[in-house]
Amino acid sequence: MNAPDRYERFVVPEGVAKVSYERDTKIINAASFTIEREDHTIGNILRMQLHRDENVLFAGYKLPHPLKYKIIIRIHTTSQSSPMQAYNQAINDLDKELDHLKNAFEAELSRHSLRQ
Amino acid sequence: MEGVSYQRFPKIKIREVRDDYMKFELRETDASIANALRRVMIAEVPTIAIDLVEIEVNSSVLNDEFIAHRLGLVPLTSERAMGMRFSRDCDACDGDGQCEYCSVEFHLRAKCINDQTLDVTSKDLYSSDHTVVPVDFSDSSSSFENSENKGIIIVKLRRGQELILRAIARKGIGKDHAKWSPAATVTFMYEPEIYINEELMESLTLEEKREFVESSPTPVFKLDENTYQVEINDAEAYTYDEEVIKKAESMGKPGLVEIRAKEDSFIFTVESTGAVKASQLFLNAIDVLKQKLDAVRLSADTVEADEQFGELGAHMRGG
Ligand SMILES: [Zn+2]
Repeated sequence: MNAPDRYERFVVPEGVAKVSYERDTKIINAASFTIEREDHTIGNILRMQLHRDENVLFAGYKLPHPLKYKIIIRIHTTSQSSPMQAYNQAINDLDKELDHLKNAFEAELSRHSLRQ
Repeated sequence: MEGVSYQRFPKIKIREVRDDYMKFELRETDASIANALRRVMIAEVPTIAIDLVEIEVNSSVLNDEFIAHRLGLVPLTSERAMGMRFSRDCDACDGDGQCEYCSVEFHLRAKCINDQTLDVTSKDLYSSDHTVVPVDFSDSSSSFENSENKGIIIVKLRRGQELILRAIARKGIGKDHAKWSPAATVTFMYEPEIYINEELMESLTLEEKREFVESSPTPVFKLDENTYQVEINDAEAYTYDEEVIKKAESMGKPGLVEIRAKEDSFIFTVESTGAVKASQLFLNAIDVLKQKLDAVRLSADTVEADEQFGELGAHMRGG
Protein backbone atom coordinates (compact mmCIF):
# COMPACT_ATOMS: atom_id res chain seq x y z
CA MET A 1 0.00 0.00 0.00
CA ASN A 2 2.66 2.51 1.03
CA ALA A 3 5.49 0.83 -0.87
CA PRO A 4 7.71 3.25 -2.79
CA ASP A 5 7.17 3.36 -6.56
CA ARG A 6 9.43 0.92 -8.39
CA TYR A 7 10.88 3.64 -10.61
CA GLU A 8 12.17 5.40 -7.48
CA ARG A 9 15.11 3.00 -7.70
CA PHE A 10 16.49 4.35 -10.95
CA VAL A 11 14.90 7.71 -11.80
CA VAL A 12 16.74 10.69 -10.32
CA PRO A 13 14.12 13.05 -8.82
CA GLU A 14 13.87 16.54 -10.25
CA GLY A 15 16.19 19.06 -8.66
CA VAL A 16 18.56 16.40 -7.33
CA ALA A 17 22.10 16.19 -8.72
CA LYS A 18 23.18 12.77 -10.07
CA VAL A 19 26.65 13.21 -8.57
CA SER A 20 27.60 15.47 -5.71
CA TYR A 21 31.09 16.00 -4.41
CA GLU A 22 32.16 16.79 -0.90
CA ARG A 23 35.71 17.45 0.26
CA ASP A 24 36.87 16.05 3.54
CA THR A 25 37.30 18.93 5.97
CA LYS A 26 40.08 17.30 7.97
CA ILE A 27 42.12 15.24 5.53
CA ILE A 28 43.74 16.78 2.49
CA ASN A 29 43.13 14.98 -0.82
CA ALA A 30 40.18 13.05 0.52
CA ALA A 31 36.59 13.40 -0.67
CA SER A 32 33.23 11.67 -0.95
CA PHE A 33 31.13 11.38 -4.08
CA THR A 34 27.43 10.76 -3.60
CA ILE A 35 25.88 9.13 -6.66
CA GLU A 36 22.10 9.12 -6.81
CA ARG A 37 20.14 6.09 -8.08
CA GLU A 38 23.11 3.79 -8.58
CA ASP A 39 24.07 0.56 -6.82
CA HIS A 40 26.78 -2.12 -6.63
CA THR A 41 27.02 -2.29 -10.44
CA ILE A 42 28.67 1.14 -10.65
CA GLY A 43 30.02 1.27 -7.09
CA ASN A 44 32.09 -1.88 -7.33
CA ILE A 45 33.61 -1.33 -10.77
CA LEU A 46 34.64 2.21 -9.81
CA ARG A 47 36.14 1.05 -6.53
CA MET A 48 38.14 -1.76 -8.18
CA GLN A 49 39.34 0.53 -10.96
CA LEU A 50 40.43 3.14 -8.38
CA HIS A 51 42.48 0.45 -6.62
CA ARG A 52 44.55 0.09 -9.79
CA ASP A 53 45.60 3.74 -9.49
CA GLU A 54 48.84 3.91 -7.52
CA ASN A 55 48.08 7.46 -6.33
CA VAL A 56 44.92 6.26 -4.64
CA LEU A 57 45.55 5.53 -0.96
CA PHE A 58 41.96 4.55 -0.23
CA ALA A 59 38.88 3.91 -2.33
CA GLY A 60 35.68 2.41 -1.05
CA TYR A 61 31.96 2.57 -1.66
CA LYS A 62 28.87 1.95 0.40
CA LEU A 63 25.17 1.55 -0.20
CA PRO A 64 23.98 3.24 3.02
CA HIS A 65 20.54 1.62 3.08
CA PRO A 66 18.64 -0.70 0.71
CA LEU A 67 15.79 1.83 0.46
CA LYS A 68 18.06 4.85 -0.01
CA TYR A 69 18.80 4.55 -3.68
CA LYS A 70 22.28 6.04 -3.68
CA ILE A 71 25.89 5.07 -3.17
CA ILE A 72 28.76 6.96 -1.56
CA ILE A 73 32.27 6.59 -2.94
CA ARG A 74 35.14 7.77 -0.77
CA ILE A 75 38.56 8.44 -2.27
CA HIS A 76 41.83 9.45 -0.61
CA THR A 77 44.84 10.10 -2.83
CA THR A 78 48.46 11.15 -2.53
CA SER A 79 49.41 14.77 -3.26
CA GLN A 80 50.40 13.63 -6.78
CA SER A 81 46.69 13.34 -7.62
CA SER A 82 43.32 14.42 -6.28
CA PRO A 83 40.09 12.54 -5.60
CA MET A 84 38.45 14.26 -8.53
CA GLN A 85 41.31 13.43 -10.89
CA ALA A 86 41.35 9.79 -9.76
CA TYR A 87 37.56 9.57 -10.12
CA ASN A 88 37.61 10.97 -13.66
CA GLN A 89 40.53 8.75 -14.59
CA ALA A 90 38.72 5.63 -13.33
CA ILE A 91 35.62 6.45 -15.38
CA ASN A 92 37.71 7.10 -18.50
CA ASP A 93 39.67 3.88 -18.09
CA LEU A 94 36.51 1.80 -17.54
CA ASP A 95 34.90 3.43 -20.55
CA LYS A 96 37.91 2.56 -22.73
CA GLU A 97 37.97 -0.98 -21.36
CA LEU A 98 34.33 -1.42 -22.35
CA ASP A 99 35.05 -0.01 -25.83
CA HIS A 100 37.83 -2.54 -26.19
CA LEU A 101 35.58 -5.32 -24.89
CA LYS A 102 32.88 -4.43 -27.40
CA ASN A 103 35.30 -4.50 -30.33
CA ALA A 104 36.87 -7.74 -29.12
CA PHE A 105 33.45 -9.36 -28.77
CA GLU A 106 32.24 -8.24 -32.19
CA ALA A 107 35.44 -9.51 -33.85
CA GLU A 108 35.16 -12.83 -32.02
CA LEU A 109 31.48 -13.13 -32.94
CA SER A 110 32.13 -12.71 -36.67
CA ARG A 111 35.11 -15.07 -36.46
CA HIS A 112 32.92 -17.60 -34.66
CA SER A 113 30.11 -17.43 -37.20
CA LEU A 114 32.65 -17.97 -40.01
CA ARG A 115 33.97 -21.08 -38.29
CA GLN A 116 30.56 -22.74 -38.40
CA MET B 1 46.92 17.01 -15.69
CA GLU B 2 46.38 13.94 -17.86
CA GLY B 3 47.06 10.96 -15.62
CA VAL B 4 48.57 7.63 -16.53
CA SER B 5 46.09 5.12 -17.87
CA TYR B 6 45.26 2.02 -15.85
CA GLN B 7 43.09 0.58 -18.58
CA ARG B 8 42.84 -3.16 -19.16
CA PHE B 9 42.39 -4.98 -22.46
CA PRO B 10 40.14 -7.97 -21.82
CA LYS B 11 40.09 -10.98 -24.13
CA ILE B 12 37.01 -12.87 -25.29
CA LYS B 13 36.61 -16.38 -26.65
CA ILE B 14 33.20 -17.63 -27.68
CA ARG B 15 32.61 -21.33 -27.21
CA GLU B 16 29.04 -21.63 -28.38
CA VAL B 17 26.36 -19.27 -29.68
CA ARG B 18 22.75 -19.90 -30.51
CA ASP B 19 19.93 -17.37 -30.65
CA ASP B 20 18.94 -17.92 -27.05
CA TYR B 21 22.16 -19.34 -25.57
CA MET B 22 25.79 -18.34 -25.43
CA LYS B 23 28.86 -19.59 -23.59
CA PHE B 24 32.09 -17.62 -23.66
CA GLU B 25 35.35 -16.97 -21.82
CA LEU B 26 36.22 -13.52 -20.53
CA ARG B 27 39.86 -13.02 -19.56
CA GLU B 28 42.27 -10.37 -18.33
CA THR B 29 39.77 -8.37 -16.33
CA ASP B 30 38.43 -8.68 -12.79
CA ALA B 31 35.31 -9.94 -11.06
CA SER B 32 33.87 -6.43 -10.70
CA ILE B 33 33.57 -6.06 -14.49
CA ALA B 34 32.25 -9.61 -14.91
CA ASN B 35 29.66 -9.04 -12.20
CA ALA B 36 28.65 -5.60 -13.49
CA LEU B 37 28.00 -7.09 -16.93
CA ARG B 38 26.01 -9.94 -15.39
CA ARG B 39 23.93 -7.54 -13.31
CA VAL B 40 23.28 -5.24 -16.27
CA MET B 41 22.24 -8.14 -18.53
CA ILE B 42 19.69 -9.29 -15.93
CA ALA B 43 18.28 -6.00 -14.69
CA GLU B 44 19.18 -3.08 -16.95
CA VAL B 45 19.12 -4.08 -20.61
CA PRO B 46 15.75 -2.81 -21.85
CA THR B 47 13.08 -4.89 -23.56
CA ILE B 48 9.45 -4.34 -24.49
CA ALA B 49 6.62 -5.91 -22.48
CA ILE B 50 2.89 -5.41 -22.10
CA ASP B 51 2.34 -2.85 -19.36
CA LEU B 52 -1.25 -1.64 -19.74
CA VAL B 53 -4.32 -3.73 -20.54
CA GLU B 54 -7.83 -2.49 -21.27
CA ILE B 55 -10.27 -5.36 -21.05
CA GLU B 56 -13.44 -4.97 -23.06
CA VAL B 57 -14.98 -8.41 -22.56
CA ASN B 58 -13.78 -11.13 -20.25
CA SER B 59 -16.08 -14.02 -19.49
CA SER B 60 -13.24 -16.49 -18.98
CA VAL B 61 -12.54 -18.22 -15.67
CA LEU B 62 -9.56 -15.95 -14.97
CA ASN B 63 -10.14 -12.46 -13.60
CA ASP B 64 -9.01 -9.34 -15.46
CA GLU B 65 -5.87 -8.64 -13.43
CA PHE B 66 -4.80 -12.27 -13.64
CA ILE B 67 -4.94 -12.08 -17.44
CA ALA B 68 -3.20 -8.68 -17.48
CA HIS B 69 -0.38 -10.17 -15.39
CA ARG B 70 -0.01 -13.16 -17.71
CA LEU B 71 0.10 -10.88 -20.75
CA GLY B 72 2.86 -8.84 -19.13
CA LEU B 73 5.03 -11.92 -18.79
CA VAL B 74 4.85 -12.85 -22.50
CA PRO B 75 8.32 -12.13 -24.01
CA LEU B 76 8.17 -9.82 -27.04
CA THR B 77 10.91 -9.47 -29.66
CA SER B 78 12.76 -6.35 -28.53
CA GLU B 79 15.52 -5.49 -31.02
CA ARG B 80 13.88 -2.06 -31.18
CA ALA B 81 14.04 -1.46 -27.42
CA MET B 82 17.51 0.13 -27.27
CA GLY B 83 16.36 2.86 -29.67
CA MET B 84 12.96 3.41 -28.08
CA ARG B 85 12.01 5.97 -25.45
CA PHE B 86 10.77 5.22 -21.97
CA SER B 87 7.14 6.37 -21.71
CA ARG B 88 8.01 8.35 -18.60
CA ASP B 89 10.39 10.61 -20.54
CA CYS B 90 8.63 10.61 -23.90
CA ASP B 91 7.59 14.14 -24.86
CA ALA B 92 5.62 13.06 -27.92
CA CYS B 93 2.80 11.73 -25.73
CA ASP B 94 1.86 11.49 -22.08
CA GLY B 95 2.73 7.80 -21.95
CA ASP B 96 -0.81 6.70 -22.83
CA GLY B 97 0.37 4.47 -25.64
CA GLN B 98 -0.73 6.54 -28.60
CA CYS B 99 2.85 7.22 -29.59
CA GLU B 100 5.15 5.13 -31.78
CA TYR B 101 8.33 6.31 -29.99
CA CYS B 102 7.51 4.68 -26.69
CA SER B 103 4.74 2.12 -27.13
CA VAL B 104 3.30 -0.68 -29.23
CA GLU B 105 -0.38 -1.55 -29.32
CA PHE B 106 -1.75 -5.09 -29.24
CA HIS B 107 -5.24 -6.47 -29.78
CA LEU B 108 -6.66 -9.79 -28.74
CA ARG B 109 -10.07 -11.11 -29.67
CA ALA B 110 -11.12 -14.72 -28.98
CA LYS B 111 -14.41 -16.55 -28.50
CA CYS B 112 -15.14 -20.22 -28.07
CA ILE B 113 -18.07 -21.24 -30.19
CA ASN B 114 -18.10 -25.04 -29.89
CA ASP B 115 -17.67 -27.81 -27.32
CA GLN B 116 -13.94 -28.06 -27.90
CA THR B 117 -11.98 -26.01 -25.30
CA LEU B 118 -10.27 -23.07 -26.99
CA ASP B 119 -6.69 -22.24 -26.03
CA VAL B 120 -5.99 -18.50 -26.18
CA THR B 121 -2.25 -18.12 -26.73
CA SER B 122 0.41 -15.51 -27.46
CA LYS B 123 -0.28 -16.23 -31.14
CA ASP B 124 -3.66 -14.54 -30.76
CA LEU B 125 -2.02 -11.22 -29.89
CA TYR B 126 -2.04 -8.89 -32.89
CA SER B 127 0.69 -6.27 -32.87
CA SER B 128 0.61 -2.82 -34.45
CA ASP B 129 4.35 -3.18 -35.13
CA HIS B 130 5.58 -6.25 -37.03
CA THR B 131 9.03 -5.97 -35.35
CA VAL B 132 7.50 -6.29 -31.88
CA VAL B 133 5.69 -9.63 -31.65
CA PRO B 134 5.46 -12.46 -29.12
CA VAL B 135 8.60 -14.59 -29.24
CA ASP B 136 8.22 -17.64 -31.46
CA PHE B 137 9.58 -20.69 -29.67
CA SER B 138 9.13 -23.10 -32.56
CA ASP B 139 12.49 -24.74 -33.01
CA SER B 140 13.15 -25.52 -36.65
CA SER B 141 16.04 -27.80 -35.68
CA SER B 142 13.99 -29.94 -33.30
CA SER B 143 12.83 -33.26 -34.61
CA PHE B 144 9.28 -32.99 -33.28
CA GLU B 145 6.96 -33.87 -36.13
CA ASN B 146 4.24 -31.77 -34.49
CA SER B 147 4.85 -28.69 -36.59
CA GLU B 148 1.83 -26.91 -35.17
CA ASN B 149 3.20 -24.32 -32.77
CA LYS B 150 0.76 -23.18 -30.18
CA GLY B 151 2.61 -20.29 -28.53
CA ILE B 152 2.30 -19.40 -24.86
CA ILE B 153 -1.07 -20.23 -23.38
CA ILE B 154 -2.85 -17.27 -21.77
CA VAL B 155 -6.27 -18.67 -20.85
CA LYS B 156 -8.60 -21.51 -21.88
CA LEU B 157 -12.20 -20.77 -22.96
CA ARG B 158 -15.23 -23.09 -22.93
CA ARG B 159 -18.30 -22.74 -25.11
CA GLY B 160 -19.70 -19.23 -24.98
CA GLN B 161 -16.75 -17.63 -23.17
CA GLU B 162 -15.08 -14.65 -24.75
CA LEU B 163 -12.02 -12.44 -24.33
CA ILE B 164 -11.55 -9.07 -26.02
CA LEU B 165 -8.82 -6.66 -24.97
CA ARG B 166 -6.40 -3.94 -26.03
CA ALA B 167 -2.88 -3.92 -24.58
CA ILE B 168 -0.06 -1.39 -24.61
CA ALA B 169 3.52 -2.63 -24.53
CA ARG B 170 6.25 -0.31 -23.30
CA LYS B 171 9.99 -0.21 -22.97
CA GLY B 172 11.27 -1.09 -19.51
CA ILE B 173 14.07 -2.73 -17.52
CA GLY B 174 14.24 -5.73 -15.22
CA LYS B 175 14.94 -3.45 -12.25
CA ASP B 176 11.41 -2.08 -12.63
CA HIS B 177 9.69 -5.45 -13.10
CA ALA B 178 11.13 -8.89 -13.94
CA LYS B 179 8.86 -9.10 -17.01
CA TRP B 180 11.27 -6.69 -18.71
CA SER B 181 14.33 -8.81 -18.04
CA PRO B 182 15.79 -10.18 -21.30
CA ALA B 183 17.77 -12.79 -19.38
CA ALA B 184 16.55 -16.21 -18.33
CA THR B 185 19.86 -16.82 -16.56
CA VAL B 186 23.26 -15.18 -16.69
CA THR B 187 26.02 -16.83 -14.70
CA PHE B 188 29.79 -16.75 -14.58
CA MET B 189 32.33 -18.92 -12.82
CA TYR B 190 36.04 -18.59 -12.15
CA GLU B 191 38.08 -20.87 -14.34
CA PRO B 192 39.60 -23.58 -12.10
CA GLU B 193 43.26 -24.54 -12.32
CA ILE B 194 43.91 -28.07 -11.09
CA TYR B 195 47.34 -29.48 -10.26
CA ILE B 196 47.75 -33.17 -9.46
CA ASN B 197 50.78 -34.09 -7.36
CA GLU B 198 51.77 -37.08 -9.50
CA GLU B 199 54.34 -38.36 -7.03
CA LEU B 200 51.82 -38.43 -4.18
CA MET B 201 49.15 -39.83 -6.50
CA GLU B 202 51.35 -42.78 -7.40
CA SER B 203 51.61 -43.67 -3.71
CA LEU B 204 47.87 -44.44 -3.73
CA THR B 205 46.56 -47.96 -4.22
CA LEU B 206 44.18 -48.55 -7.12
CA GLU B 207 41.29 -48.78 -4.68
CA GLU B 208 42.27 -45.44 -3.11
CA LYS B 209 42.50 -43.83 -6.52
CA ARG B 210 38.98 -45.02 -7.33
CA GLU B 211 37.74 -43.68 -4.00
CA PHE B 212 39.42 -40.36 -4.67
CA VAL B 213 37.92 -40.02 -8.15
CA GLU B 214 34.48 -40.91 -6.82
CA SER B 215 34.70 -38.49 -3.91
CA SER B 216 33.96 -35.59 -6.24
CA PRO B 217 30.20 -35.04 -6.65
CA THR B 218 30.85 -33.85 -10.21
CA PRO B 219 33.01 -35.70 -12.77
CA VAL B 220 36.19 -33.62 -12.33
CA PHE B 221 38.64 -36.56 -12.35
CA LYS B 222 38.74 -39.91 -14.08
CA LEU B 223 40.75 -43.06 -13.73
CA ASP B 224 42.39 -44.28 -16.92
CA GLU B 225 41.46 -47.95 -17.08
CA ASN B 226 44.64 -48.86 -18.97
CA THR B 227 47.35 -46.92 -17.18
CA TYR B 228 45.52 -46.68 -13.82
CA GLN B 229 46.43 -43.03 -13.60
CA VAL B 230 44.18 -40.34 -12.19
CA GLU B 231 43.57 -37.71 -14.83
CA ILE B 232 41.51 -34.55 -15.12
CA ASN B 233 38.23 -35.39 -16.81
CA ASP B 234 36.58 -31.95 -16.83
CA ALA B 235 38.13 -29.15 -14.77
CA GLU B 236 35.09 -26.92 -15.26
CA ALA B 237 32.81 -29.50 -13.69
CA TYR B 238 34.41 -28.48 -10.37
CA THR B 239 31.96 -26.58 -8.20
CA TYR B 240 34.52 -25.43 -5.57
CA ASP B 241 32.93 -27.89 -3.13
CA GLU B 242 36.41 -29.00 -1.86
CA GLU B 243 35.21 -32.61 -1.46
CA VAL B 244 38.34 -33.98 -3.16
CA ILE B 245 40.57 -31.84 -0.92
CA LYS B 246 38.83 -33.23 2.18
CA LYS B 247 39.11 -36.76 0.76
CA ALA B 248 42.84 -36.36 0.18
CA GLU B 249 43.27 -35.10 3.73
CA SER B 250 41.23 -37.98 5.18
CA MET B 251 43.47 -40.40 3.26
CA GLY B 252 46.46 -38.79 4.92
CA LYS B 253 47.62 -37.23 1.63
CA PRO B 254 47.22 -33.48 1.97
CA GLY B 255 48.41 -31.66 -1.13
CA LEU B 256 47.42 -34.54 -3.43
CA VAL B 257 45.61 -32.05 -5.59
CA GLU B 258 45.66 -28.30 -5.56
CA ILE B 259 42.76 -26.35 -7.05
CA ARG B 260 42.93 -22.61 -7.57
CA ALA B 261 40.43 -20.21 -9.08
CA LYS B 262 42.08 -18.05 -11.75
CA GLU B 263 41.09 -14.60 -10.57
CA ASP B 264 41.10 -12.98 -14.00
CA SER B 265 39.32 -15.63 -16.07
CA PHE B 266 35.57 -16.14 -16.22
CA ILE B 267 33.31 -18.55 -18.01
CA PHE B 268 29.97 -16.95 -18.80
CA THR B 269 26.70 -18.64 -19.63
CA VAL B 270 23.96 -16.41 -21.03
CA GLU B 271 20.44 -17.65 -21.63
CA SER B 272 17.98 -15.23 -23.21
CA THR B 273 14.19 -15.26 -22.96
CA GLY B 274 14.14 -14.73 -26.72
CA ALA B 275 13.42 -11.00 -26.45
CA VAL B 276 16.91 -10.29 -27.81
CA LYS B 277 19.55 -12.71 -29.09
CA ALA B 278 22.05 -13.85 -26.47
CA SER B 279 24.97 -12.27 -28.35
CA GLN B 280 23.08 -8.98 -28.74
CA LEU B 281 22.19 -9.08 -25.05
CA PHE B 282 25.88 -8.96 -24.16
CA LEU B 283 26.55 -6.10 -26.60
CA ASN B 284 23.57 -4.16 -25.25
CA ALA B 285 24.85 -4.71 -21.71
CA ILE B 286 28.18 -3.10 -22.66
CA ASP B 287 26.33 -0.11 -24.14
CA VAL B 288 24.08 0.27 -21.10
CA LEU B 289 27.06 0.08 -18.74
CA LYS B 290 28.86 2.73 -20.81
CA GLN B 291 25.79 4.99 -20.58
CA LYS B 292 25.67 4.46 -16.83
CA LEU B 293 29.34 5.41 -16.49
CA ASP B 294 28.76 8.48 -18.62
CA ALA B 295 25.88 9.54 -16.36
CA VAL B 296 28.10 9.51 -13.27
CA ARG B 297 30.73 11.86 -14.72
CA LEU B 298 31.17 15.04 -12.71
CA SER B 299 29.39 18.04 -14.13
CA ALA B 300 31.45 21.06 -15.16
CA ASP B 301 30.02 23.28 -12.43
CA THR B 302 30.99 20.80 -9.69
CA VAL B 303 34.59 20.83 -10.96
CA GLU B 304 34.57 24.62 -11.19
CA ALA B 305 33.14 25.06 -7.71
CA ASP B 306 35.85 22.82 -6.31
CA GLU B 307 38.63 24.67 -8.09
CA GLN B 308 37.48 27.92 -6.53
CA PHE B 309 37.26 26.22 -3.19
CA GLY B 310 40.78 24.89 -3.71
CA GLU B 311 42.17 28.31 -4.50
CA LEU B 312 40.42 29.79 -1.52
CA GLY B 313 41.77 27.00 0.66
CA ALA B 314 45.31 27.52 -0.62
CA HIS B 315 44.96 31.25 -0.08
CA MET B 316 43.81 30.74 3.47
CA ARG B 317 46.57 28.27 4.19
CA GLY B 318 49.16 30.58 2.65
CA GLY B 319 47.98 33.77 4.34
ZN1 LIG C 1 5.38 8.39 -26.29
